[in-house]
Amino acid sequence: MKTDAMSRLLTPGRLIVRTGLALVVLAAVMLACSMIGSEKVSLKAVFGGPGARATANPDYEIFVRFRLPRIVLACLVGAALACSGVVFQALLRNPLADPYILGISSGAGLGAIIAVISGLSWTLWGRSPIAVFAFAGALGTVWLVWFIGRLTGKFHVTGLLLAGVVVNAFFSAVIMFLTSIAKADQVHATIFWLMGNMAEEDFLVLWIGAGCVVGGIAALFYISPQLNALSFGPEVARSVGVDTARVRVLAFGIAAGITAIAVSLSGLIGFVGLVVPHGVRLVWGPDHRQLLPLSAVVGAIFLVLADTLARIIVAPAQLPVGVVTALVGGPFFLVLLIRYSRKVSWLR
Amino acid sequence: MAKMSGIIEINGLSFAYTPGNMVLEDMSFEVAAGTFLAIAGPNGAGKSTLLNLMCGALRSESGAIMIDGAPIASYSPRTLAAKVAVVRQEYVPIFGFSVIETVLMARTPYYGPAGFERQADRTIANEALELTDTARFASRPITSLSSGERQRVFIARALAQNSPILLLDEPTNFLDLRHQVGIYDLLKAAQLEKGKTIVAVTHDVNLAAQYCHEAVLLGTDRSCRHGRTRDVLSAEHIRTTFNVEVFAGEIGSGQFFLPLGEYAKDSTQPKDRPGKMWP
Repeated sequence: MKTDAMSRLLTPGRLIVRTGLALVVLAAVMLACSMIGSEKVSLKAVFGGPGARATANPDYEIFVRFRLPRIVLACLVGAALACSGVVFQALLRNPLADPYILGISSGAGLGAIIAVISGLSWTLWGRSPIAVFAFAGALGTVWLVWFIGRLTGKFHVTGLLLAGVVVNAFFSAVIMFLTSIAKADQVHATIFWLMGNMAEEDFLVLWIGAGCVVGGIAALFYISPQLNALSFGPEVARSVGVDTARVRVLAFGIAAGITAIAVSLSGLIGFVGLVVPHGVRLVWGPDHRQLLPLSAVVGAIFLVLADTLARIIVAPAQLPVGVVTALVGGPFFLVLLIRYSRKVSWLR
Repeated sequence: MAKMSGIIEINGLSFAYTPGNMVLEDMSFEVAAGTFLAIAGPNGAGKSTLLNLMCGALRSESGAIMIDGAPIASYSPRTLAAKVAVVRQEYVPIFGFSVIETVLMARTPYYGPAGFERQADRTIANEALELTDTARFASRPITSLSSGERQRVFIARALAQNSPILLLDEPTNFLDLRHQVGIYDLLKAAQLEKGKTIVAVTHDVNLAAQYCHEAVLLGTDRSCRHGRTRDVLSAEHIRTTFNVEVFAGEIGSGQFFLPLGEYAKDSTQPKDRPGKMWP
């Protein structure tokens, strides 16, 4: 029996195999989704290269200019939100936590609407003021919530959560106020952003974003054994020798950072950060060394699929992807929850 | 392991959560290596506070706590965990980690660069599982265990830290009689076989009297008595610190205490003294 329990433990080999398989699935999904859309794209034509002039090979143009950047963006955002959800659930020891629980969403929203209303038209590294303001708003809000949480006590989870809820509510009220005095076209732009929206991005932006997100996830993986201990509570983690203060600041900062990047690239896409970590945990267990990389890949797969649906379901128009994630993710998660909760409690 | 004196030394320790409201005041005692010490006392006497100070979760205002010859503040979380393991009473279930995963968590500071346990860590965890008789449900999630089983798992995790000192906060809370002695037998075995220094916070004076060499008796008036269990846990001391009438009896060389309340046993009629119990 004892060897049986030992043999079921996570090993580096198993982790590599599982993550590798998940990556293969992701690659297949990306390829398949890049073929789907309002225009038919032939893979053969794509591999033919750009052709002599810019317009010579439309298949290649569509693939490289529109499909690929968008799919890569969906991967990035999905992975970032899913990992951030994992970390917030562990840090706050609350299964209801998601990347937006501490006010990132409302802070980013506020930044975005301020950018829209003020009608700024400059760009920073190809980014519109909306993205820049959203990024700044997201990080500023997290800092504010963290600061208020510190005032209520030394990383008091309840204090932090309450601070998040209150700041969220307050900023949402400000957003509603600004929306009510804004012009109709500005309102439309804001609402589309708030619902979460994918667009084609420059490769430069994608590369920077990818570098930050992948680096962040790698850093989170590095502290994942400590996150395991922290999910038993800070006192327990400390008594088994984890430097809880350092790990918490690191995890909190990285998770907030990659969420802010995701939000500034694509608006407020809900549900990914809540559903994906739970789904992965239900199927593969709570060990963060596995939960983080698998959540990243599954989050990427989920968002690529959702965005493809958003592109084709009412083509040639497009749905905000946030609508699709909630519509698809909700029922899917409920099925998973019922199935695996029963399996876990009966078979084990 | 050669016995040295004073693996834990407490000197003039004072602590207050809010200024002017002392919980512990000018407390001093010493625990020799290999001792099984009980910290007993009524609710609110500061037992858990003392334990939290001894494991570094709280910092004292004045006075010193020395662990193995060095001030507790000089340890990093990692080096302190190599000296002191703690079993706490509160447990909030979240995410169904299995028993073996929970026990292996004790080895977190020693994981390899890739974040995985080494073979030696597995061996240590296995020993802890065997010693606590938890190996047979090692792959079950801890959320599915009874409270007695779960307490043994947490003791196994503390043992897997391989620390010379083991601190426990109310290890037998909510356990029935058989599981109470089961836990204390287990701790006694760890003391005798592994030479561990064990400090258990408890309000169960009978278990303390049966199993522990030494006892510290804390009172709500910030009194602190330390010495051999037989001397510290006397009927007289228990009567005054717990503020309750007790019947003291003897079994062999050991003592036991029965609290006697106003309405205990012989009285079938309500007594004419309402509110007297809580002066």
